[in-house]
Amino acid sequence: MNRVYMDRFIDTIEWVAAFFVGIVAANIFLQVLLRNLFTYSIPDSYDFGRLMLGILIFWGIAATSYRGTHITVDLVWGNVGPRYQRMIDVFATLVLLFVVTVQTYTLFDKVMTTRSDNVLTFDLRLPTWPFFMLAWLGDVSAVLLIAVRTYRLIFHPDYMVDPAVGKEIKPVE
Amino acid sequence: MSTDAVAILGFIALFALMLLRVPVGMAMGLVGISGFSYLVGGAPALKLVGQTSMRTVTDYTFGVIPMFLLMGAFVTSSGMSRELFRTANNFVGHLRGGLGIATVAACGGFAAICGSSVATAATFSTVAYPEMRRYGYPQSFATGVIAAGGTLGAMLPPSTVLAVYGIITEQDIGKLFIAGIIPGLLAICMYMITIAIIGWARPGFLPEGKPTSWNERLASLKDIWAPLLLFIFVIGGLYGLPFLPRFTPTEAGGVGASGAFLIGVLSGRLNKDGILTSLLQATRTAAAVFTVLIGALLFGYFLTITQTPQKVTEFLTALGLGKYGVLALIMLMYLLLGCLMDAMAMIILTIPIIFPVITHLGFDPIWFGVIIVMTVELGLIHPPVGMNVFVIKSVIKDVSFTTIFKGVIPFIITDLIRLVILIAFPILALWLPSHM
Repeated sequence: MNRVYMDRFIDTIEWVAAFFVGIVAANIFLQVLLRNLFTYSIPDSYDFGRLMLGILIFWGIAATSYRGTHITVDLVWGNVGPRYQRMIDVFATLVLLFVVTVQTYTLFDKVMTTRSDNVLTFDLRLPTWPFFMLAWLGDVSAVLLIAVRTYRLIFHPDYMVDPAVGKEIKPVE
Repeated sequence: MSTDAVAILGFIALFALMLLRVPVGMAMGLVGISGFSYLVGGAPALKLVGQTSMRTVTDYTFGVIPMFLLMGAFVTSSGMSRELFRTANNFVGHLRGGLGIATVAACGGFAAICGSSVATAATFSTVAYPEMRRYGYPQSFATGVIAAGGTLGAMLPPSTVLAVYGIITEQDIGKLFIAGIIPGLLAICMYMITIAIIGWARPGFLPEGKPTSWNERLASLKDIWAPLLLFIFVIGGLYGLPFLPRFTPTEAGGVGASGAFLIGVLSGRLNKDGILTSLLQATRTAAAVFTVLIGALLFGYFLTITQTPQKVTEFLTALGLGKYGVLALIMLMYLLLGCLMDAMAMIILTIPIIFPVITHLGFDPIWFGVIIVMTVELGLIHPPVGMNVFVIKSVIKDVSFTTIFKGVIPFIITDLIRLVILIAFPILALWLPSHM
């Protein structure tokens, strides 16, 4: 895939997660506001909140895995030359790819079980499996993005910048 | 192979993977599931991966983490730190070492609405450092104050590290946040006293700033009313102050994030770019923290099946050091680990093993949360790694690591004294939560 299209795809995945962070915050804020001002409760606010949290985290893991902003121990990496740094990065990314692939496989089983068990939300009695499926798609994206990261680390390390804002964003903590 | 041998091999593999820069959460998950699979079977181990991952990310209680991260990101993007520093400077800047005292006060104020040590240190490297240098403060002192002030982010509520500790140990996150208030205020006071002592002991070392009139001082208060109100509303709601709605920690985070967003937008300090960057930052950090949480839970199954926490408890209690001797040993271990990894990784990796020891010895879990966060925060400033020091160095290019570490030494001594005080008087951490 062309680099520009690939970067847009990566950005889109990240914006999906970022969008859901905003939605979760707005959902909580509205819920608190309505409960305290009008003693009204949004139906399924709790269930929607937790299900959207799941979606944002899995889509966020996809973006985080690609950007390499996971929590890591950099003691060895910080004390070796660029050649070894790259080798370490490739090894770590391959392990990451393996783990997330296994997770994605097992999560699909969880989505299917939830569907067959007909698990519903508390108030509106909506099926929860579509939310789980959406979250699972985030994990599928993670596998794709980590594969792209591995390819780029090996063949195009200069591509490993943040196209969303033009520079690397450091995590808050 | 015996379970003990599997456990030891598991820990060796875990540290090897982490040293090879495999993300901490992924390394814990991989080792945990491989070990569990070896001892119990592949099919149940794989079942655990899907179930644990989905259960963790859809747990409403865990929503406290992304929400407070988002609040911190909005606060940082809004540049509220400048007003806090300006106001503190107006009040104490004229004293000897006054700019240092103002930096500590502003770091405390910022930490109370941000919750991140690294963000606090990075922010004040750009806000307070140029000002201190302009007035002739030595580089070592200026950077040392910022590094130490940054650690307040993990102690004063809302603290992400305390929230994670609460999740792992199943303690009330609200109580943990509130327990951090007095130790956090104590830290601010002790840092200020340290600066005053430095100024008194070395009169030519720290200059005095320009005095400001009371009119200017009072006028500057109007710039900080909004973040102050946000803090009172969020933490007051969590504590259950009268006339305020009562929040759960997740709700407090959501309301705090929305409040920070509204203050930023209405005051014109949060533009579209700032909003988008904040959302991205919060998402990435939350995803990174949740990855470690999932990994820790998977690793926890491995620990349970190998009975590692029980064996560690038996081993430590059999040493005959007494409860405070064991506590000292544990804290020493954390200080050493602080040379290798960051606060969050340390907490998540070690607490499942150490926590049973602590409860077995009869220590209060809420108090221990405060103590352990203080200890790992020391790791943020002590040599040779010190994450805050690295952050400051990345922002201020013309200062060496040695200079920063030199400036940090008085504050490390202060922190050690504070640690002893809190161990001697647990009531300092437990008094406020006992009234919730």
